[in-house]
Amino acid sequence: MATPGFGGKLLLVNLTTKEINKLDTEKYEPYGAGHGIATALFWEFCVEPGDWDLQDAFHPKNMVALVTGPVVGTGVPNAARTSVSGLSPQCYPIQWFSHSNFGGMFGPFMKMAGYDGVAVIGRAESPVYINIVDDKVTIEDAKDLWGLTTWECQEEIWKKSGIRYGQEWQEIDDRYTLQRPAIVTIGAAGENMTRVASLIHGGGSGAGQGGFGGVFGSKNLKAIAVVGTKGIKIADPKGLKDAREWYDRTWSAGPGFGGFGPPSIQSCCIGCGTRRKCHNRDRVHSKDSDDCAESTWFSLTKEDANGLDPRGPEISKWNRKGTDIIQQLGINGMETCFQGPMAFPTTHNPDFPIQPEVPAYSALGWYMKKMYDMGVIGPGTKYDMAPLDMHKFPSQEFMEIYGIALANRYGIGDLLADGTARFCEKLGRTDDFSTLCRQTMWGYMDHWSMPGVDWAYGNLMDSRDINSHDMGMGNPSGGFGGFGGGGGKKWTCEDYVKVLAERSTGNNHFWFDFSWEGKQAYKTGIFSKHKAEFVAWRMHYWTYYKESVGYCDWGPYAQLFSASHPKGYGHTPEAEPRYLNAITGRNHTFKDGLEMGRRAWNLKRAIFAIQGRHRKMEKFTGYYYKPGASYCGFDAEKPIFDGKNWDWKNCRELYFTEDGVEQWKTHFYNVEGWDKDSGYPKRKTLEVLGMKKVADLLKSKNKLG
Amino acid sequence: MAKDKKKVPDNADKKKYSRRDFLTVGGTALAGGALAVYSPKKTEAKAEEYAQSTRYLLYDSKHCAGCYGCMIACSLVHEGEVNLSLSRIQVHRAVLEQYPSDIEINVCRQCPEPLCVINCPTGACHISAENGNIRMINAEECIGCKTCIKSCPFIPHRPIWNHLTEKAIKCDMCTDTPYYNKKGGVNGTQACVEACVANALKVVTELPDQTDINGYDRNLQPPRKPMPNFFGPPKGKSKSKE
Repeated sequence: MATPGFGGKLLLVNLTTKEINKLDTEKYEPYGAGHGIATALFWEFCVEPGDWDLQDAFHPKNMVALVTGPVVGTGVPNAARTSVSGLSPQCYPIQWFSHSNFGGMFGPFMKMAGYDGVAVIGRAESPVYINIVDDKVTIEDAKDLWGLTTWECQEEIWKKSGIRYGQEWQEIDDRYTLQRPAIVTIGAAGENMTRVASLIHGGGSGAGQGGFGGVFGSKNLKAIAVVGTKGIKIADPKGLKDAREWYDRTWSAGPGFGGFGPPSIQSCCIGCGTRRKCHNRDRVHSKDSDDCAESTWFSLTKEDANGLDPRGPEISKWNRKGTDIIQQLGINGMETCFQGPMAFPTTHNPDFPIQPEVPAYSALGWYMKKMYDMGVIGPGTKYDMAPLDMHKFPSQEFMEIYGIALANRYGIGDLLADGTARFCEKLGRTDDFSTLCRQTMWGYMDHWSMPGVDWAYGNLMDSRDINSHDMGMGNPSGGFGGFGGGGGKKWTCEDYVKVLAERSTGNNHFWFDFSWEGKQAYKTGIFSKHKAEFVAWRMHYWTYYKESVGYCDWGPYAQLFSASHPKGYGHTPEAEPRYLNAITGRNHTFKDGLEMGRRAWNLKRAIFAIQGRHRKMEKFTGYYYKPGASYCGFDAEKPIFDGKNWDWKNCRELYFTEDGVEQWKTHFYNVEGWDKDSGYPKRKTLEVLGMKKVADLLKSKNKLG
Repeated sequence: MAKDKKKVPDNADKKKYSRRDFLTVGGTALAGGALAVYSPKKTEAKAEEYAQSTRYLLYDSKHCAGCYGCMIACSLVHEGEVNLSLSRIQVHRAVLEQYPSDIEINVCRQCPEPLCVINCPTGACHISAENGNIRMINAEECIGCKTCIKSCPFIPHRPIWNHLTEKAIKCDMCTDTPYYNKKGGVNGTQACVEACVANALKVVTELPDQTDINGYDRNLQPPRKPMPNFFGPPKGKSKSKE
């Protein structure tokens, strides 16, 4: 009997042996759901056997696991994510165990078919796709699908099913559905095993981070299709309705970034009820393509970036076409763009001391152009730019050829296809990680992680850009401030921090002190034990509530502050357990969820340790330690405690010191129960979390702290 | 079941006739404009012989978000679980179709001449006088013969099959909702309407235009609020009037 809210089974598909096994989800529920369960599956089927070195994401023994969570498909707003986990080919220099996620119908349909996820290992001899129709799971030939775009592939699979979806009820074992299968697939970028390949579902719901499209390609796996006709059990249906209405009543669409609503038709996820315009139905060119980061893939100017501006006339003629290209080729837009999401100029900081010409967000495309302009690649070098005609930059033709070359590894595309970090490495220019090609950590382009210090620390301790737009720790009275919006009210810094401390359940004001200069930085600020405690809290929250349960980062989850509430309360920590308990019938507290996140987080730490992670490796890229680290200045007014009083201070000049970060790491390892010299988890930490066998395995590999 | 009926000819021109433009009588597909000449086979009864429903569910397909929240709410309050197959309102989203044909919404029309009621052999499917004359199915009297489902002239049919109870179910305006936290029915609220985040569902008392197959598909949007201007003045325009 499945726990309410869960499908009850996990599919384990071995493409080498063609074996399909159904595992009981309940065994893995101590790890939460989603990414947590995927971590447990990876440990059991990839780590414990000990028959490979966990270094190559394209190795057949790697697992790619798509696992969803209990809130998904239940009508909880902003909660329909499906996690994707496995060794990541994008990660650099080691292909860490990592993860991404995507929205849309896939997760809900998995649960309606009776599964919480599907984990794939092995490699098929020739292209295949996995077809899930309730209890019937088959590995189908996909030779005729190989080479198709992500959109064409989905259309073909729908045709293969021979069903007139939406027109007539289709019978599956005396149950009926009008729905067509939900399909997640790869395009050319995945087939050619690039390290910047996304998984694409629908028009543009995508899992970009990690390059898991390439993992699909390495397995000869073109797609996974699922349609389900079963129900998702809800322990307390009335309670769930009550919770939804309580939420809407308490946090109505209010002021600020979280509240403006709908300039256009919007939806992303099943039952999502999103307040974001993630996907617009009425886009002229892009069908269901994303309206977020991908829509500015080819942004070149501030005006182009105004593709997000609903006023229309200023929308770049290329932006939407570019969005379609990367969705169909299955390319990660964030890592390959020219001047990514919202090309804010760095005019706030005219003395930007690193590279004044670098835009606020740049990635592979911009860096390639820069290398061409500098004569590092192109005529007179050993790197031919073909098939790109640089004289046609910028143009739609150039944009299209860039995408096609990248996805197919044509010419210069082959040099680019392993991602920005490896492109730098091939050019012998890894020093650019700190200047022209700002890498945050582990092979990811920086994404405004500063002055959001906790975001940067999260990147350092995980294996990706944690991409957390949540929390709201900027001055809510200014602009986007804190994503909570000020609602016209001036919040004193002290009042604001008080709300954050209360809502985080930590009741520690210093968790939110962004003091970064002098002794205060070490005492209560960004290098202090307090900041280590908060980052630990944040990673436990993130691991469970977002990456596992299925709450959407852009929900936003977590939300400690909201101007929609008279007291400034965000919906954290009430909304998360209230929805979950109504669905599952459990009586979990908010902190119970944090503890489940801590368990999965520590298991991942054990995987990292076996892969080679050590304290010595956990060092920020050089630019974090220089003026200009907070180059974007986004959300810059932060709470500062000067030893006596709290006040808003502009932190756009904030940067780390190496000594400070080392102190913070020692605090962080102590808070987590990891050895302060190695960063390895300690036996006691693991045993308290019920992971004695994990500790034993680490001990056998001399990786126990 | 549905495969046998084949109500839409294979050579139907999708561009000329959208899916919602079809309804059937005895296996023949008629375009929406032919509704006025349609009459049921089994009976010569006219619309005026049946008490008219006092509630009709309208939808706004152009502004539907495609989130399926209405279907989730419907199955949740009626059946106690999330089950798209048991939702009495059916939204189908074809994400790769061009707007606005990417979404189909199918609701019970509370027909003036309700064939589901007319053809029911037991009277289980009936016009409920105590519930505003809405067309309802009494589960206790339903024998699971599927006649109401087969009689529905619309594609896809609006009464649906509950495989768990082996009885037919249909929209009852949330009259019989054991898992609803509110009073439903004609004098109450409807879970699907409540759940809609796009203002794309509305219950009205007036009979929609029956000569227009899209008479239930209306623009239900309130006036929009202006968007905050995050990006400065439009290009080419200065902030001050000159």
